Amino acid sequence: MKGYSLETEGLGKAFRLYPSPLKRIAEAASFGHYKGHHEFWALKDVSLRLKPGSTFGLCGANGAGKSTLLKLLAGTTAPTVGRYRINGRVASLLELGAGFHMDFTGRANIIMNGVMMGISRRELEKKMDSIIEFAELGDYIDEPVRTYSSGMGLRLGFSVAVAVDPDVMIIDEVFAVGDMYFQKKCVDRIFEFKQRGKTILFCSHSLYDIRQLCDEAIWLDRGNDMAQGDSVEVTNKYMAYQRHHIDAAEGIVTDHTDASDLESRRSKGELPEILDARVYRSDTNEECYELTTGDSFEVRVWWKNPAPENTPIQIGIGFLRQDMTTCGGASTNFDRIQLEGREGCLVLKMPDIQLLSGRFLVPVVLFDGEGVHRYQEYSLRDNLIVRTNTRDIGLFLLNHAWEQTTHSVPAEDGGTIPKERVG
Amino acid sequence: MTPQAESSTASGGFSSGSPAPGRWVTSRPPRVFEVVQRFFSLPKRMLAHRDLIAISVKRDLEARFSGTMLGWLWPLVHPMFLFVVYYFIFTKLLNFKIPHLPEGQESALGIFMFCGIMSYATISEGVVRGANTFIENGNLIKKLAFPAEILPLNISLVCSVTHLFALAVFLLGCLLTPIWEAPGLSALWIPLILAVQLVFIYGFALLLSTLQVFLRDTVQVVGIVMTVWMFVTPIFWVPELMGESIQPYIAIIYNNPLYHLVSAWRGALMGDLFIEAWTEGDQVLGPYAPVSTAAIGGHLAIFAIWAVALYGVGYAFFTLSERRFADEV
Repeated sequence: MKGYSLETEGLGKAFRLYPSPLKRIAEAASFGHYKGHHEFWALKDVSLRLKPGSTFGLCGANGAGKSTLLKLLAGTTAPTVGRYRINGRVASLLELGAGFHMDFTGRANIIMNGVMMGISRRELEKKMDSIIEFAELGDYIDEPVRTYSSGMGLRLGFSVAVAVDPDVMIIDEVFAVGDMYFQKKCVDRIFEFKQRGKTILFCSHSLYDIRQLCDEAIWLDRGNDMAQGDSVEVTNKYMAYQRHHIDAAEGIVTDHTDASDLESRRSKGELPEILDARVYRSDTNEECYELTTGDSFEVRVWWKNPAPENTPIQIGIGFLRQDMTTCGGASTNFDRIQLEGREGCLVLKMPDIQLLSGRFLVPVVLFDGEGVHRYQEYSLRDNLIVRTNTRDIGLFLLNHAWEQTTHSVPAEDGGTIPKERVG
Repeated sequence: MTPQAESSTASGGFSSGSPAPGRWVTSRPPRVFEVVQRFFSLPKRMLAHRDLIAISVKRDLEARFSGTMLGWLWPLVHPMFLFVVYYFIFTKLLNFKIPHLPEGQESALGIFMFCGIMSYATISEGVVRGANTFIENGNLIKKLAFPAEILPLNISLVCSVTHLFALAVFLLGCLLTPIWEAPGLSALWIPLILAVQLVFIYGFALLLSTLQVFLRDTVQVVGIVMTVWMFVTPIFWVPELMGESIQPYIAIIYNNPLYHLVSAWRGALMGDLFIEAWTEGDQVLGPYAPVSTAAIGGHLAIFAIWAVALYGVGYAFFTLSERRFADEV
C-alpha cells in the first residue's frame, strides 16, 4: 500500500449541549435561525499522517480528547470540522465487551461480535479455533459471558478484534485489565501486526507503554494538539508540562494526592531529583544515541538530593527492547554504591556493548535507599538505537568461537547421541 | 488497489458502519442524492449484513422465549387469548353476525377479528419496540462502528416472524378443525402482504426510533397512539354493520393505512367464503366492503403506497440524523 494508511486534516469535534428538550425543538423548528445549544469542543484541529506499519500513541489528561479522536477514526461518531481517510479495514476496540450478550456463551459472542465488526459468519467459523486459542478461555468458552471475569472479557474482546485482521487497529485504553501474561501476549500481537505493515493507534495513561510501543505519539490537552512526533519527545514534553501544571495548581488544590504532593515537594526542592541524563561515547563529550554492537558508551546522570540524611537514594538504569523485553539493568544498590552529597553526576560505563540490533528504551529510575520506592522515572530524550554489522541473532552477541577437530564419536554411554543416528 | 486509487479524491459524509476504505470522511451532512441512493440501496446493504441480521434476529427470538415453559408457543398465546375474549363478547353476548354466512359458520366474526389482531399485534410490537431500539442499543452505536439501521430492521423482522407463527396456527386450525374453510388461491397473497407490512413497520420504526434519539418523549406518545389506533381501525368492529352512525367518519377509515392492511389480510386469509358473505347476488353489501379478490390487490396497493412513503420519510430522517446518534444516545 502506498501513501498513508491514515490521514486526518484539521479534524475537530464539537458536542452540542442542549439545556432543555424545548430548546432542541425550537432550534429544529426555526431551520437554523435560532441556536438553542452551546458547543463543547472536545477536539480541535488535529492533523495526522500515519504510514503503514507505524504505531501511534495518544497521551493526555482525562478529557483531553483522546477517546473522541479514537471514536472519530473508528467511525462511531462524525467529525464536526475537518476530514479523515483510512486506507484499509479498520477494527476498533473502544470498550471491552461492547456488544457482548451476557447470557450467551463465549462462542456465540465471538460470532455475534465478529459479524458486528463486519466479518462474515463463514470467515468467523474458520477462525473460531484460533480465536478461542488466543483467548485461552478453556472450557469457559461454552459458558455464558456473565460468568466471566473482566480479564476474561478482555481476552475474548481482544481476540475477536485481532481476528478481523484489520489494516488499521484502534484501541482505547483497554490494557488496564488483564494479567501481565495476557498483556504481554497482546503486545506481542501488536508487534506482529506492526511487522506486517499494519497501523495501530492507541491511547494510554501509561507513558511507559507509549514510549515502548509507539514510534510516534500525540499529546492532547483539552482538545488541542500540543505536541506530535517522536513518542519519547512527546511524552517528555507532556511530563514536563504535567510537572509544571501541578506546580501551578498547587496554590488552588488543598487536598493533595500522594503523587501531586510528591511532585510539589520535588519542585520546592525538598525531594531528590534527576536533573538530566544523557548518553555519551566513552570518555568523550560526544552525545550519541546510535551505536554499533561493540561500541563503548556511558550514561551520565545528573542528580540532586537536598536532604541526603532523610532521603538516601539509589539510581538504576535499565535497558528494555521495544517489545518490552528487559535486556539488562544496573542499579547502584545492586553494586553497593553509595550516592553521597547533595548533588552529583553518576556515570554508568558500558564498555563493548554486546546488545544486538534493536531499539532500546533506557529508563533512569531514582529509588529510595532500599531500592523499593521510585521517586522518579526519567527517560532519555531519545531511544537508544543499536546496529549490528554481523548476522548474529537474538538479544546479545554471545561470546563464541568455532573450531574444526577430529574428535571421534563418543562411546555408546555418551548418552547425548541417539543410537540409531550413530549407527 | 484501483478502486481505492480511483476514489482517492472522493469524499463523503458520515454513515454508521465502518467507513469505506480510502474515502475521505468529512463533516458535511448527506446530500439529497445520497439520501435517495441509500433509500434504494437498502437491499444491497441488507445483503452485505445478512449474517448480522440473521444472527441478531435469531438471538432476539431465542432470548425472548428461552427458559419459558411455553417457549415458542408464547407468540401465539396472546392473540389466541384476545380471539377467545372478543369472539365470546361479540358473537355470543352482543350477537353480531356477518350476513349470508351458511349455518355453522357463526364463528366467522371471530375469524374476522383474529385476522385483524394478528396483523395489528405485529405492527404494534414492531413500532413500540422499534421506537426505543437506538436508545436501548446505545452502547453498540457508541462503541462499535455499527450499521445502526440494522437495529429497527431486526425488530421488524422479529415481529414478522412472530406473525408467521400466528399465520401457521391459523392455517393449521382451518385445515384440522371445521371452524373455517382454509383459504384457497387467495393464500398466495400472504407473502406479498407480509413483505409490504415489513416495509411499513421498518419505515415507521426508523422514523420513530430516530425521533426518540432526540426527543425522549416519543416512546410515551407512541404507546398512547398505538392503543388509540387499535380502536380506530376496524379490528374488533365491522364498519359495514355500524349503519348510518359511521357515515361521518368514513373518510377517516379510508385514510387509515391499517384499515387497508387488515382488509387485505382478511381477503387473503378468509378466502371465498368471506367474499360470499358480503355479496347478495351481484350486489356488494355496504359501500366500503372489501369483497372481491381483486380488492385484496386494491387494499394492498393503497397500503403499499403508505408503506413506501413511510419508509422514504423514515429513512431520509434517519440518514440525515445518523451522524449525531453517537453523541446523543
